[in-house]
Amino acid sequence: MLRFLKKVVYDSSLQRKISFLKGLELFKDLSHREISRLAHSLHSRTYHEGEVLFLEGDIGRALFILESGKVELTRRDSSGKARLIYTLGAGEFFGEMALLEQLPRTASATAVERSHLYLLYRSKLDSLLHSQPKIGMSIMTHLAQILSARLRRTTQMALFEAPQGSPAPSSEGPRPQAHG
Amino acid sequence: MAERSFPLVPILLLGGLFLYAFAHLFAILAPFLLSLGLAYVANPLISYFEVRGLRRSVTVIALYLSLALCLALAARSLLEILTTQLSFLQTEAPAYLSHAERHLAALKLWVARKVPYGSQIAKKWDARLVTPLLEQAQRIPGYLLGLFPLLSLLFLIPFISFFLLIDGPHAVGSLIQACPSRYVEQALHLLSEVDEALGNYLRGIVIVAASITAASFVGLLILGVDQALAVALLSGLSSFVPYLGAAVGAVLGGLVAVIQFGTLAAGLKVVALFVGIRLADEAFLQPLIARHSVHLHPLAFLLALMIGGELFGFLGLVFGVPAVCVLKALLKVTWSWYSTEARLKPAQTLEPIPVPYV
Repeated sequence: MLRFLKKVVYDSSLQRKISFLKGLELFKDLSHREISRLAHSLHSRTYHEGEVLFLEGDIGRALFILESGKVELTRRDSSGKARLIYTLGAGEFFGEMALLEQLPRTASATAVERSHLYLLYRSKLDSLLHSQPKIGMSIMTHLAQILSARLRRTTQMALFEAPQGSPAPSSEGPRPQAHG
Repeated sequence: MAERSFPLVPILLLGGLFLYAFAHLFAILAPFLLSLGLAYVANPLISYFEVRGLRRSVTVIALYLSLALCLALAARSLLEILTTQLSFLQTEAPAYLSHAERHLAALKLWVARKVPYGSQIAKKWDARLVTPLLEQAQRIPGYLLGLFPLLSLLFLIPFISFFLLIDGPHAVGSLIQACPSRYVEQALHLLSEVDEALGNYLRGIVIVAASITAASFVGLLILGVDQALAVALLSGLSSFVPYLGAAVGAVLGGLVAVIQFGTLAAGLKVVALFVGIRLADEAFLQPLIARHSVHLHPLAFLLALMIGGELFGFLGLVFGVPAVCVLKALLKVTWSWYSTEARLKPAQTLEPIPVPYV
């Protein structure tokens, strides 16, 4: 009886969403209640195979979190040909730099299979920063750490790998920066 | 980089069609708009419990049941108050009328003696002032009967709000899902701006209405004015039209005080009370509300009220300002979108930092 009542009163889809978000590096320091607040600020959308999430050059305004499916990041080279730079799987996120700056996206994103994504829109994060500074602070700290790790990697590649004519990063390699 | 064009013409056409349809269907849409306002005001409370893991539908049903219980408990007391006030009016009405007649006669005498051409004005007094006033007084039952259709809104609005509160987030989700994939970020931008502007304005105006009702009730009780609750409630309800609440309170409360105490000074005290309430609202509440709301120029504010009132009457006065808030948010997003897509303004640039990453 109690279990039935709990099932009726409590939102199981929110619990599933919270469990998924808890597993992400970006939100690992947040408590259950804080994740719940964050989950409330997220929008979700299902993208079908071949649907374009954004194009290189668009002004970025949201962070994308891939719950299920696959998304390809491509960038056009000097000849205008699209080159695959990374394939994202479930549990990965991208476009996070849109939360920090309003610069054009440096890559295009396309769903390669039916994918379900959560979107954290910039102004929602701003609201969280004002109303729940601890949540905003934690996300910002992790963003800075991610940015720092990528910058270290880029510096290392520029200094030691580029002169030897290293190939373009493959989809198996560490994810290059694809920001907004 | 792939080129993309800004769909300015379709957006303008859609906007024009929407405005045309809105103007023609306003009477039908009005209950839905009022319900939307109520849902916006109640939404933070629902979200509070939703964040704590409760189902949205369960929270909304619990809220409605709680309100129904409160109303049922208060109904007996409200009926008693209403009966007392009605019987009081019934017994005191002749005294009020004779007071009013005496005041009018005294005013007529004062005008005849003190005002230039006063005797000529006094001769036409009955034809120009008293007769139209009596005519209007005879129409009061008709006006009151005209309010009965509005009573149906008291049932209709909570009914519509119930479904808006339960299904609102699903509707937004469906809208995002239906939006072409590449424009999802822009759609979120639009929704976010409209939501922020409208939600903050509506919640702000409810805070103002509640504060004016409470402050005027306490003030009128201290001054010993009869019908304090009725005057305070009317004043609070009127404050949904910006600036009207304090004015209604001052006029109604002032009249009641003059008739009750028989002196102009009593009426002036009530007017001073409502001027004080208005100033306190301007000094303490408005800055708090404006900080989170859309900033409108006072002229835009006035124009919104005038156009709303002219086109849609009383409801136009209520919805004029929120409609302009939405319009401003739409224009802001459209311009931001257009200017970045059409490359009218350069993308944000960062200053180069010479110090290397260490």
